[in-house]
Amino acid sequence: MKVARREGLLITYALGSCIGITLYDPAIKLGGLLHIMLPTADHTRVDNIYKFADSGIQEMLRKMQAFGGVKSRYICKIAGGAKMFEMQGNLGNIGQRNSESVQNVLRQEQIRIVRQDIGANYARTMSLDVETGVVKVRSFGRPEITL
Amino acid sequence: MNSYDDMNSMEQDVIREVGSIGTGNAASALSSLLGTQVRMGLPVVSVLDYNAAMSAIGNPEAIVAAVMVGMKGDVSGIMLFILHPDLINEIIGILLGRNFEDYSQLTEMDISAVNEVGNIMISSYVNALSGLAGVDISLSVPEIAINMLGGIMSVPMAEFGYQTDKLMMIRGKFIIRDVELNSDLLMLPDIDSLNYLMKKLVQSNE
Repeated sequence: MKVARREGLLITYALGSCIGITLYDPAIKLGGLLHIMLPTADHTRVDNIYKFADSGIQEMLRKMQAFGGVKSRYICKIAGGAKMFEMQGNLGNIGQRNSESVQNVLRQEQIRIVRQDIGANYARTMSLDVETGVVKVRSFGRPEITL
Repeated sequence: MNSYDDMNSMEQDVIREVGSIGTGNAASALSSLLGTQVRMGLPVVSVLDYNAAMSAIGNPEAIVAAVMVGMKGDVSGIMLFILHPDLINEIIGILLGRNFEDYSQLTEMDISAVNEVGNIMISSYVNALSGLAGVDISLSVPEIAINMLGGIMSVPMAEFGYQTDKLMMIRGKFIIRDVELNSDLLMLPDIDSLNYLMKKLVQSNE
């Protein structure tokens, strides 16, 4: 999880089934970028709270609030949650469960997802320009998009 | 044992043995498929955390081909074989008589050839493992992905993310027509299977 104010580029590389979540408070140019790998921290010894959608988002909100962020102003965008391999059954389909969990947690926190680029079968690199709030997603074989 | 890095030195030796025999099997399978001599270097077996494994294999945004197979039976888990462009070129060069510079040039035929090679490599290692340990392992249909390395590596990481942050990796070196080519195999039994395997392997080693 990374937080920056006024300037800087926050970036997370090659999200596969993982999800990148950006929160941006335009009033004070505060940006945060979280990279989660699993849906929930339930029933597990939590060694890294940022690994899970639920505990990760909560900690991100706490950190950003400490930097003066106001939840009602946050612009939220998410990317990732791909299914990299067309495996039969549940194997390798954690991306969809990650997406659902991220969406649920954000809904409970009353944060609306403004734009998203999730699912499909390719990895994504996601960046947030803290000065402008512009979020970009690049992936293999596709033009870079601005979320 | 709760994690791959809880293995003691004897257990690591046993895995190294699996790696050696597996790489040997893979080299001879590759040799008969390609109809050319394939030599092997000594494989390196390591247990690494996610970031270390990633930097050992390459840049997270590098495009690689990866073949994934699920293991079931006495052992469950994942095998993931990663092919870098030089190895892919060698394979399709010999099998199909073409070369590629850009992944978008790969045809369906090329991709299925690469998938088949990945499948053969994985089977070679699994046969070494099941032979040495005396266990039955059945494999799922192989699936291939050509994409960013980081995204591909996140699949096994997430699959076992509730159990461990470590990956077990065998880096094999193949020498085809005097060119040295690296491949990376992630051998990932789940933790219960790892314990079971170790019991069987260490027993049969004594």
